[in-house]
Amino acid sequence: MLQLEKIKEENKDILRLIGEVDASNSVLLDQSMQEILEQGTTFLLIDGSQLSYISSAGLGVFMSYLDDFSERGIRFAIFGLNEQVSEVFKILGLDRLIQIAPDKSTAIKLAHES
Amino acid sequence: MIKTSTLPLGRISLLLAIIVWLALVLVDLVRIFGMINNLDSGISEEVTWILEILFFIFVYLVYRRIFWKTRQSDFLTLIWRGVSNGLFAAAAGLLTELIYLALGESKIGTDPFLKNVFYHINFAWTSAFLISTALLWRHLILYQKNKQVVNQWQIFELSMLGALFFVFFNNNNFDYSFLFGLVILLIISILLAGNLKWIPYLNFKEKWKLLLFLFLILLCAGFLFYRVLNFGNEERIQINLTDNLFLMALFGFVIAYGLFSFLVTLFNLPTSSVFEQKLTEAINFQKLSQSIQPEESEEQVLDILLDSCISASFSDGAWIELNPKEQFKVKNPLRFLDESTRAELNSLIPQVHQTWVHGSTAELSQPQTIRLNHPNYKSALLLPLVVNKSILARIVLIKEVKEGFNKEMMSIIGTFARQACISVENHRLLNQAIENERYQEELKIAQRVQKALLPLHLDHPDSFDICAYSNTADEVGGDYYDTYQVDENHFVLIIGDVSGKGTSAAFHMAQMKGVFQSLIQLGLRPAEFMEKANSALSKCLERNHFITASIFEIDVAHQTFCHARAGHIPTLWYKASERTAEFISIEGLGLGIVRNLTYKNHVHEKTFNYQPGDILVLLTDGILEGRNETGEQFGYERIKKIVEEHPQKSPIDLQQVLIDSLHLFVGGDGMIDDDYSLLVVKFK
Repeated sequence: MLQLEKIKEENKDILRLIGEVDASNSVLLDQSMQEILEQGTTFLLIDGSQLSYISSAGLGVFMSYLDDFSERGIRFAIFGLNEQVSEVFKILGLDRLIQIAPDKSTAIKLAHES
Repeated sequence: MIKTSTLPLGRISLLLAIIVWLALVLVDLVRIFGMINNLDSGISEEVTWILEILFFIFVYLVYRRIFWKTRQSDFLTLIWRGVSNGLFAAAAGLLTELIYLALGESKIGTDPFLKNVFYHINFAWTSAFLISTALLWRHLILYQKNKQVVNQWQIFELSMLGALFFVFFNNNNFDYSFLFGLVILLIISILLAGNLKWIPYLNFKEKWKLLLFLFLILLCAGFLFYRVLNFGNEERIQINLTDNLFLMALFGFVIAYGLFSFLVTLFNLPTSSVFEQKLTEAINFQKLSQSIQPEESEEQVLDILLDSCISASFSDGAWIELNPKEQFKVKNPLRFLDESTRAELNSLIPQVHQTWVHGSTAELSQPQTIRLNHPNYKSALLLPLVVNKSILARIVLIKEVKEGFNKEMMSIIGTFARQACISVENHRLLNQAIENERYQEELKIAQRVQKALLPLHLDHPDSFDICAYSNTADEVGGDYYDTYQVDENHFVLIIGDVSGKGTSAAFHMAQMKGVFQSLIQLGLRPAEFMEKANSALSKCLERNHFITASIFEIDVAHQTFCHARAGHIPTLWYKASERTAEFISIEGLGLGIVRNLTYKNHVHEKTFNYQPGDILVLLTDGILEGRNETGEQFGYERIKKIVEEHPQKSPIDLQQVLIDSLHLFVGGDGMIDDDYSLLVVKFK
């Protein structure tokens, strides 16, 4: 089960993931990311504080946008991941490519630095 | 033993009938000679009666046999046979009359012997005609058998049998007992004459023919009856064969049933078209309800439907219009109309009825009548065909008269339409089922092919043992492991996991196998291998797919292994000397994530020394992520603990313990929703 909430905050877009991202619903995540990108976002934060699980398919969605982000100069960060989910990012090595922060303010700071 | 069916019973009976008749003629002539000359011929009249009865019985057997052979013929053929018998008998009678008319009062004309011979001939023909016609009536009466009719008929037959022997009872006199018997038999005949259920099955034309045939039969029977009565009154004939209760009752029965049939057929004529119409409708309905045969198409069903609707409503024109979304075409969509008339009429149909969007209610799928403002055509019936909640096609029926479609027509047409729709729907479902079946087969093939991609034999020297296990969540999966022997001291192991699962993962897994088997032959070091593999896979993988892998190059001569990890689950290393296990931590990014040359900055290799008794457990994430009913994951710690508890076990046993523990942990309600594989290596 995955619930997606889009929040607009000043110049930032926040996508909140609630539940689990797996092979069956990673398409929904992809759609939301696509929509946000098409709206011309410049600053995208993923709120993963209520994300309990992410499968490789879900990781693949984030991965597939990395080039777009760097090409368009979009600031991107993920925050609030629980230990297990954060571990998944780390093992894959995505923590080197994506700013992963414990909370929102750190995420904003990190995204600005990158 | 002689089989009864091989005996020519018909011919034997015929022969016997002729012999009996000849005997009858002979006996009677002898008797007449005696009577005329007042001599005692020594033959009593009982002999005549017995011969007469025998004659009736044999004639009956002859026709019984003929009927049995031709019982499958249609009514009119059978009745025609009755007519021809009647005509023969009547002709014989006429001929006799003519001969006597010519002879006049000459000597031969008054000769009692000749007269009697003719009498006997006429008697034989008449009997044959009556018995055959009675058998014909029997066939018709018993056409739609039920117990009551069969009982009635049996009573009649028994009574007739009684009438056959009645002559012994009343000595061939015309008295009250004769009359009484005749009345009873006539009443039974009339009761039987009510069984006319075969008549409605004839069509209009056949009924006219039947009327003619029945008329001829009645005419013949009437003429023969008239002659028989005349004979009875003639004094010159001393031997009377025809004032016989059996023969009289037969006359009664033949004439009664013939008359009833004639009248009922006559009164059935005007309504016969309705009956035919209903029969056509029933046949059409049956055609529509048969699910489409494999060689038939939906088009044919619509074709049958269109024709059925036209015939049920007597339409003067019709066409079928397919939903533009449908894949097929109807070759001949117009009936009795040309294209310009159709367009003209179509423009008169309100737009509301032209939409292809199916209304929320069932109303739109009901037949709709419309009044047309057209010089030739006055009314139309619209019939949408709804299959699977969308309009498949629309039938438009046109009539020249105003309000030409009555309730009955609409109801039968509506039924036709529903049946046709069910047929089409069934056909589609069946096709879908077949398609699904085919996919299942294809998946099975894919499964087999994929299984063959995983090595059956794992390359390893005597200095270490190895075993592997892989299980997929779907038919095919994305887990991969392989081995490669570089030289006698160098062995490479790899385990990999494609992101996602199912068919797409399986394809990428096959690519990974190709990449591994090609690159490893170049003698690349683990980190180099990952670099090249990343570069190769970057060109193969879809943008949102990646592969994680762990690679080990084991040098058995130096007891070292060089390891690189590309985003894969860390490998568990049990160190026998320390009796503890730990996950080897080494940095490394999954393959296909960074698709440029910078990838080499993200992957590293490291060489480790191992000791005999050390164990390596290579895993994929399906094991770690196996969850119990509370959602808890199997996790790293459990695996570590299990391995630490069973260091003495052989790889295959340890592997089994791990799998068993995983299943025990997950339990019946939990799930392993991913492919999982493991590779266990134990150094000696």
